[in-house]
Amino acid sequence: MHRRGAGIAAIKKKNLAQARYKDKGTELASEQLTQLSKQLDSFRSYLEDFASKHKGEIRKDADFRRQFQEMCAAIGVDPLASGKGFWSEMLGYGDFYYELGVQIIEVCMATNHRNGGLIDIEELRLRLIASTGRNRQDITTDDLLMAIKKLKVLGNGFTIIPTGRSQIIQSVPRELTLDHTAVLKAAEGKAFVTSEELQKELKWEKERSYRALDYMVKEGLAWVDDQSRPHQQYWFPGLFSDSMAAA
Amino acid sequence: MGNFEFPWQYNFPPFFTLQPNADTRRKQLDAWRSLVLDYHRHNKQYTLDIAEAQSSDLFFNKSINRKLSLESINTVLEELRKTENLEWKDKSKKQCMIMWRSPAEWAKLIYQWVTNNGMNNTVCTIYELQNGDDTKDEDFHGLDSWLLDKALKLLVSQHKAETISYDGSDGVKFF
Repeated sequence: MHRRGAGIAAIKKKNLAQARYKDKGTELASEQLTQLSKQLDSFRSYLEDFASKHKGEIRKDADFRRQFQEMCAAIGVDPLASGKGFWSEMLGYGDFYYELGVQIIEVCMATNHRNGGLIDIEELRLRLIASTGRNRQDITTDDLLMAIKKLKVLGNGFTIIPTGRSQIIQSVPRELTLDHTAVLKAAEGKAFVTSEELQKELKWEKERSYRALDYMVKEGLAWVDDQSRPHQQYWFPGLFSDSMAAA
Repeated sequence: MGNFEFPWQYNFPPFFTLQPNADTRRKQLDAWRSLVLDYHRHNKQYTLDIAEAQSSDLFFNKSINRKLSLESINTVLEELRKTENLEWKDKSKKQCMIMWRSPAEWAKLIYQWVTNNGMNNTVCTIYELQNGDDTKDEDFHGLDSWLLDKALKLLVSQHKAETISYDGSDGVKFF
């Protein structure tokens, strides 16, 4: 067996080749980088074009806004990540949600004495439209959810409680367990619930249902109705709208 | 006079049950207090009869079949008394005056009217003040005698008026 030895010359040659590869690699990388930044520049200018062309629609048309949102999500861009920068400057897009966020806080604070900090999202939407006038006809619950999620940066003040059919917005920080959200879900649509319903529908013990209901009364979220028949009803002003009364 | 617009709570069934939670009860009693005052102001009513209260639509919302119990009505009335919006007419507490405007406020309104119409140093009868053609457009037109008397007594104590009796009818001279 004869094997070519690893002489000095061979090692030198190998080192040289490695150095060349390295140079070539750097060259390629920097080429790619320039290419990429060129692409980004043109992407950015396209977006800017798009943005300035459709600025009005994005602000006005809820459906357009949603699609734009989806498009951004698909390419991994969060146009709301910062209030400054080209997104908000070009679109006023961030501003839209920041303004909405402030209005949501205002409505929640104004209704807090009534509902103890719980409000159905549709009720919130109607109140928001009523308080800001006719220009806000096209605000969707999607917009609200988006704005509320952005409010999270302010801390844990706002929580979205999904209830199957809809969402309830909680604007006062408060410990609600799964049992409490289950009670809210059961009360949704008619704004009240009885211990008997909870026992029947959720297969709860009587004791468990009263523990949850009493907590919600204690927190000012629920009101007791002693005149309801056949059972005592627990009412949630945050889920109540005037149209439910006559039923 | 248009129909009275009840607040949202009026259609909220547990509004008619005194709430066990202290904070909630506070809000509830405040809402009842304003409701009673607004209701009487709207209808220009000054007295409330306990025997009739329970069947009045103020305390009984027939459309949702909820009524405030007698005991709870008395709690609401006691709130109104604390804020000097209510005075019992009798010791047995069967009838009370609901003062949606205080006697001082009435006194001010009456005196303003007197000054605006150059009636200073003239004499009016009580009847003229309450039912006269000249006061038809005034808020105090039709004002309850008991309240009017209170307001006039205030004006007397401020030396802005003097009550006089003339020929069996009561009158007042404004300064």
